[in-house]
Amino acid sequence: MTAPLPKRIIKETERLQTEPVPGISAQPHDDNARYFDVMVQGPDGSCYEGGVFSLELFLPDDYPMTPPRIRFLTRIYHPNIDRLGRICLDVLKNNWSPALQIRTILLSIQALLGAPNPEDPLNEAVAKQWKENQGEAIKTAREWTKLYAQPKQ
Amino acid sequence: MNQDAGTVESRRLGLDAHGEARKFVRLLQCSQCARPYRSPVTLPCGNSLCRECLPEAHEREGISYPDIPNRRKGIQCPFPSCEREHSASDCNVDVALNKVMEVIAEVFARYENIISNKLRAQGDTDVQMQEQVLGEVLDEKAESETSLPRGRLLAAYILAMQGQLSLDSDTIKYDSGTAAESERSADFTMMHDISDTALPQVDCQVCYNLMLDPVTTFCGHTLCRVCMSRVLDHSLHCPICRRVLALPPTIGLHPNNKTLVDLSNTLWPDMVKARRETVAAEEQEIAQGDMNTPLFVCTLGFPEQPTFLRIFEPRYRLMLRRCLEGSREFGILMYNRYSEPQGDLGPVHFYQIGTMLRIVRAQLLADGTSLVETVGTERFRVTRHGVADGYAIGNVELIHDVNLAEEERIEAAETSQPPPADEEDVHAQIARMPTVDLLRFGQEFVRRMQGRSANWLQQRVLDIHGQPPDDARLFPYWFASVLPISEEEKYKLLDTRTVRDRLKITAAWIKRIESQRW
Repeated sequence: MTAPLPKRIIKETERLQTEPVPGISAQPHDDNARYFDVMVQGPDGSCYEGGVFSLELFLPDDYPMTPPRIRFLTRIYHPNIDRLGRICLDVLKNNWSPALQIRTILLSIQALLGAPNPEDPLNEAVAKQWKENQGEAIKTAREWTKLYAQPKQ
Repeated sequence: MNQDAGTVESRRLGLDAHGEARKFVRLLQCSQCARPYRSPVTLPCGNSLCRECLPEAHEREGISYPDIPNRRKGIQCPFPSCEREHSASDCNVDVALNKVMEVIAEVFARYENIISNKLRAQGDTDVQMQEQVLGEVLDEKAESETSLPRGRLLAAYILAMQGQLSLDSDTIKYDSGTAAESERSADFTMMHDISDTALPQVDCQVCYNLMLDPVTTFCGHTLCRVCMSRVLDHSLHCPICRRVLALPPTIGLHPNNKTLVDLSNTLWPDMVKARRETVAAEEQEIAQGDMNTPLFVCTLGFPEQPTFLRIFEPRYRLMLRRCLEGSREFGILMYNRYSEPQGDLGPVHFYQIGTMLRIVRAQLLADGTSLVETVGTERFRVTRHGVADGYAIGNVELIHDVNLAEEERIEAAETSQPPPADEEDVHAQIARMPTVDLLRFGQEFVRRMQGRSANWLQQRVLDIHGQPPDDARLFPYWFASVLPISEEEKYKLLDTRTVRDRLKITAAWIKRIESQRW
C-alpha cells in the first residue's frame, strides 16, 4: 500500500530546492520521493575542505516521527563515521525530534565534519588514531578527501 | 451600509473586516488589561493573557510531589471558566501566539505609518491627526468632521493599544463621512494583509500544515492536536525545546489554545475547514478503507478468553487510540518466528489466523504505555495485508464453525469407524471417541491436575480465566489459555471448523502429557 506523500515532505523538498543551503544539496529520486541523493561539501578550514561527499538519505514511513536514515556513500576518514558510511550523531538517533528536518540534519552532518568527536567513536580505529596522533589522523583525512571526495566534472 | 459588498469581500474571512472590526480586535485583547496581548502566556486551561497580567505567584500549599523547586510557586487562574491554581512553571510565553501578535502589530504599524505620512503631506498637525483619525469612544466627544481612510480595524486596534478600549465596549463611534467606502476597503486590505502575514506563524512544525486544534505545551510550544498525540507516542519531550512535557499522555484532556483557535477560525476559516476534512478523511481511510482491520502482531488470543496486553510501541499506541475511538476491536496475530509460509501470503511475519479482540478496558499509564484488557470474539484469516503508520492492517475473513447438523454428521461418521488396526495408535483412538467423551476426558484431566496442585492451575490463573467451562465449544480455548505448552501447538486450535476437531486436539495434548513424551 503506498500512501500519498505527506505535505510535510513535499514542502521540505520544495524548500530544499528554492532556498538551498550553501554547500549542501539534496535531490529526490524521480521514482521515489522519499529517497534523496545528497551532496555535502567539506567545511572550510577542516581536513575535509575541498571535498564533496555524497550521501544517501531515506525518509521512513513514519517520518517525521522517526529520523531520516542517512549514510555516506563517499569513503571518509572520520571517527564518527564507519566503513559502511553510517553516522554516529545524536540527532539521528535518540535526540531526533520531529521539529528537526532534512535541512537541519544535513547541517548537523556538515558540522560533524568540522568537529570530529573521537570521544564518542563509531569507528574505533580512526578514533584511536585521532586521539593518539591527531596530526597523522588529520593528514590521512586530507589524503582520503583528495582520493575519494573529489567533485565529479 | 452596503451589506452585499461585505459578504463578497469577506468570503475568505470568518467575519466582516469592516462591520465586525470591533469583534476582531476583541480577539487580540487580553482579558485582563484589554490591550493587545503583549508576550502572551497560554495557561494550562487554554486561556491566554499577557505575561505582565499573570497574577502574582504565591507559595503553593499541600503539595509534596513532585517537589521540584520551580513548581512550588503557583498562580491563581483569573479566568472564571477555570479558577484553578496553575503551577507558575507551567505558565510560559506562548511562542506561536506571540509571533502572531507581533506580525499583526507590524501590519497595523505599517498602515499607521502610511496614513500618518499622507496626513503630514496634507499639512495636518500631529494633534489634529490624532483626534481626527482615531475612532472615539461614544459619548465622549462629538463626531469628528473629517474622515480619513484609516478604517475601523486600525482605529479600534490603536484605541486598544492606548488602553482606551474596554473589553466589553461595543460603542466605538466611527467616522462615516464621505470616505465610508475607502474606510471599508482599508479594513479589508489590512485584514487580508494580517491573514497572509500571520499564516506562516501558525504552521505546525510537525506536519507543516495550518495547526488544527492547536495544543500548547507548558513550555509554550504549539502543535496540532493530532501531531502532539503522535509525538507523545514516541517521546515525552517537547519536540521544539526538548523539555520534558508535563502533558498527560491523555492529550485528549488538555484543552485547545482558545485564542489561536478563534484567530484561525477568523483569519483562515476555509483552510481550517479543509484541514479538518483532510484529517477526518485520512482517519476514515484507515478505519473504513480497503484494509480496515488493525492487526497487532504479538501473541495468540482465543475466542471468549481474556487477553491482557501492555501497549508500549509508538505505532501500537496510535493503533490503540484509533481503536478506542472507533470499533474498539482489533485482530491479534502470533508472530511467525520461523517464517513459515502462510498460504497465499507467503512467509509473512505473522501467522495468518488470529482472533479479533474486543477492548474491555484500557488504562493509559503516566509513561504513555497502556494496560489493555480484551476479550476474544471471532477467529479470522488474513487475506490481504498492508501497513498504516507503521502497524499492520488487513482484510480478514472470519472463520466460523460448521453448523450443528454438519457437526453431528461428522461425529457419527467418525465414531462409527471400525476399531484401529493398531491398538497403540493414540490418534486413531481419539478420532473414534464421542465428542462428549473428549470433553469429559479434558475436564477430568484438569481435575486430576488440580488435585496435584499443578502450577498452571493456581488460583491466580483461575481468577483470570475462570473455572473450566462446561461448554464443549469453549473448553479447548480455555484449556489453551492456561496450559503451558508451545504457542505454535496452541495455534492449531484456531484453524478448526468443528467443536470436535478442537477437542481432539486437546485430547491429543493430554495423551502426550500423560505419556510424558511432550
